Amino acid sequence: MGTVRLMVLDVLKPHEPSILDLSKKIAGVPGVANVDITIMSVDRKVETAKITIEGTDFSYDKIQKIINDYGATVKSIDRVVTGKRTVIG
Amino acid sequence: MLSKLREKLRLLSDYNKLAHIEKIARRYFVMNSFDGVLAILGILVGSLIAGAPAALVVSTGIAAGIAMGVSGIWGAYLTERAERQKEIRDLERATLTKLKATQIERAAKAAVVIIALVDGIAPLAAALIVLMPFLILRPFLALQQIYYLSIGIAFAALFMLGVFLGNLSRENIIKMGLIMILAGLASVGLSYILLGTVVA
Repeated sequence: MGTVRLMVLDVLKPHEPSILDLSKKIAGVPGVANVDITIMSVDRKVETAKITIEGTDFSYDKIQKIINDYGATVKSIDRVVTGKRTVIG
Repeated sequence: MLSKLREKLRLLSDYNKLAHIEKIARRYFVMNSFDGVLAILGILVGSLIAGAPAALVVSTGIAAGIAMGVSGIWGAYLTERAERQKEIRDLERATLTKLKATQIERAAKAAVVIIALVDGIAPLAAALIVLMPFLILRPFLALQQIYYLSIGIAFAALFMLGVFLGNLSRENIIKMGLIMILAGLASVGLSYILLGTVVA
């Protein structure tokens, strides 16, 4: 059985914490190798971020817990790559 | 032990980033220390004009400091709590989520407590510092000298608050210190003018 190697999340987050802090928190989850956060749109109180997480067999629940803990919500999981090796960028 | 302390400090820094504790606490600290120093300066000048004994100055000064401390804690706690709750409600509406038991809510709660403590401790500490000569130098100096020393400390404290603000805003620290001293002089001058006519 393959493991989750890449995941792209559409997240609605408050301005604080910054994406710098949020990326560091997510990068601390076991199995996560890289985190890429791009702000897609900015509103008065919130912003939409595309969070790309790369790694081997990381727990989505743990990542979602961190995201929720900082007042953000996962609107949708837009992409998941599962397999034995990373072959897709 | 050390790692636990480091963990607490990290948590505090996290809360600070989320709830901007430092910025608001600093504002309250300066405002209330200033209030504390000016209030005690007023007590000192009034007592000096009336020729009050040291015990009266100490008891009035400390009681006023405690009152300012309690008022600071109560006032800041309630106002800050109301403001933070509103912020969280607004954020909940914007993010379409409940923020109960999240890091955001914990940071807001910590902010309320820390800011209330700073708001209360600042005027009390300022009062105690200004009254220090009355508390420790009474056996060694004449009453008049203690009065002048205390008033001197009050002005020095005002100057230091100005320096602190000047440092923060990267302005001329001496100028900011002198502006603070001017407030003290205005307070003392007005007291002398008004009390001079009433007491005499």
